[in-house]
Amino acid sequence: MNDALRILGSFIPPDLSPAYLRALAVPVAETIGMAAAGMLVAFAVGVPLAVIIGTRAPGHRLVGTVLASLRAIPDLTLAILAVVLVGLGPGAGVAALALFYTAMIGRVYGSLFLAADAAPLEALRATGASRIPLAAFGLIPLTLADMLSFGTFAFECAMRASVIVGAVGGGGLGTELIGSLNALDYHRALTVVIVLVALVAGVDAFGMLVRRDARLALLLVPLGVIALRLDWPQIFAFRHAVHTFAGMFPPELRAAQIVSLPLLIAQTVLIAVGGTLIGAVLAAPISLIAARRLAPVPVVLVVRRVLDVARAIPEVVFGLILVVSAGIGPLSGAIALGLHSAGVLGKLYAETFENVPDAPIASLAATGARPLAIAAFGFIPLALGPNVVHTLFRLEWNVRAATVVGLIGAGGIGQALYEAQQLFFYKEMLAYILVTWGLVALSDWFGERLRVRMGWHFVAG
Amino acid sequence: MLELTGVRVVYGEGAPPALDEVTLRVHAGECVAIVGPSGGGKTTLLRSINGSVPIAAGTIRVDGVDISTLRGRALRRMRTHLAVIAQQHDLVDRLFVYQNVMAGALGRWSTLRALRFLIAPTAAEIAEAREALEGVGIAEKLREPTRDLSGGQQQRVAIARALVQKPGAILADEPIASVDPELGEQIVALLCGLARSRNIALICSLHQPEIARRYFDRVVALEGGRIA
Repeated sequence: MNDALRILGSFIPPDLSPAYLRALAVPVAETIGMAAAGMLVAFAVGVPLAVIIGTRAPGHRLVGTVLASLRAIPDLTLAILAVVLVGLGPGAGVAALALFYTAMIGRVYGSLFLAADAAPLEALRATGASRIPLAAFGLIPLTLADMLSFGTFAFECAMRASVIVGAVGGGGLGTELIGSLNALDYHRALTVVIVLVALVAGVDAFGMLVRRDARLALLLVPLGVIALRLDWPQIFAFRHAVHTFAGMFPPELRAAQIVSLPLLIAQTVLIAVGGTLIGAVLAAPISLIAARRLAPVPVVLVVRRVLDVARAIPEVVFGLILVVSAGIGPLSGAIALGLHSAGVLGKLYAETFENVPDAPIASLAATGARPLAIAAFGFIPLALGPNVVHTLFRLEWNVRAATVVGLIGAGGIGQALYEAQQLFFYKEMLAYILVTWGLVALSDWFGERLRVRMGWHFVAG
Repeated sequence: MLELTGVRVVYGEGAPPALDEVTLRVHAGECVAIVGPSGGGKTTLLRSINGSVPIAAGTIRVDGVDISTLRGRALRRMRTHLAVIAQQHDLVDRLFVYQNVMAGALGRWSTLRALRFLIAPTAAEIAEAREALEGVGIAEKLREPTRDLSGGQQQRVAIARALVQKPGAILADEPIASVDPELGEQIVALLCGLARSRNIALICSLHQPEIARRYFDRVVALEGGRIA
């Protein structure tokens, strides 16, 4: 324990020397470029696919199924695949992000389009409009607010994910972070984490501006085009990619690996469940002082910023810091997931408390109850349903993330997958990718069924 | 000309018919009001003419073409001749007024032209939108965001959109149900005037028999899916 604290202490202070900050300019530009280029491709491909789903065009079911399947491949897995196929560097990062977020944008925008106000759409159809004008004049303007909200959220996620793909050789801040940690230069590692938090906060602030004036979103176009142009040669080393891809078939595992598969799956599920539990246990008390209706505004503002920081640091970065301080193993993985989940769940729980209906709270207050009693008898039971849904969603996400923290030695399928890649055992790698895909798809399917069965579908929005 | 013969519409197996043995002819420039209680089949009648509701029996001919035989592109092309005005005007409120008005042209425009219009409308397209808005008396609202207009003004924009469609017939489904009586009468007068002056067949469902008698050439009562 003392060792762990001593190593954690060795991260402080961060290296803020002008020379290092200047040296970070390139990785920062690469990370922003990767996220911008990946999202540009994701929007350019994802929106038309969403129109196919939203207008129930021929083949819409197939498109929906393919996108759902793609979404079940964690971003790290895609990144490993991209690095293998495209080679080291930001090109691989762009390819992985583009694929993952195309699936996300396509699915979510497709659902938004399906839920759009039907009456104006019917009026447009009645003019004889075909699908694309129907989308341009109806679907997109009708759902623009939600599209922008989710689009900026996805961009924020892409910025975080670009660190993950960087960590496996995709370039940018992720590669820089791994390099600093491997060189035991923890001061610089902390600098990279701080820069990342600032970048995510910057994207968040930009997102708010875009929601006010949608035209600002067009800034993504030149930024993405420039980044795509710079990464272009690596993206299309086509013959090498085809050759490597062919070398992955047929996927196969040795007998000993097949025997250990249940253990790896159990470890992954355990990391996910443990991480979600840690996150929920941390988030529950924190959210009480992060909700404006429960705590004084200055306290809320400070706690919210702390939660923002926890959300801005990806699980894998928490994992990297924990691995050097607490050592490798599933516990480090679960704590890493737990710290990030605490940031996410803390914010969601607090927002649920703020959205609790007024009337029952007012009647409790009228009895003269003290604030803690009002929380216990009013806010907490009223917010329980939505918060359970948020936690279950988090668990689903954490099954993906549990495979991601595998790469830093937390164990489970992720670690096996990463080791197979490092040793160039591509047939094994593909087998583990398929197992990961199956596990995540199963968890998504189970979560969806549970929500529908319990009638929580709409609570979760 | 619109020609309905023995039209029958059934929603779901075993349900009573929403329309039964409906036969109706409407000539170009003729204004016909459909009156009757709620659930009597007025909306179903208009939706079946537009091809939005499949018919179980009978024929619906628009200028001699049987609409129930049309699918996909052919149905879309036919719809460009049939403008629809709904009770809730059904505009996309985030668009500007001129964009909503010119949405009436989507059926005859290519996809590329539709997308180009959103980014860079030509002077001629703006002039066409202005002319349609002049027809309904609100040309000054041309470049305003649609959401800033009152309910009555939005209904006029919906009529302007229908005019831009250059339709052979207008199907108006209770177009004055959500505006005050005085404004409602003005809108009906406007619709009938435009239909006669532009030689467009108008079928309009209404809840106000006295307005129907005052402004329309013919009043048809629909009850329990049958013409009474």
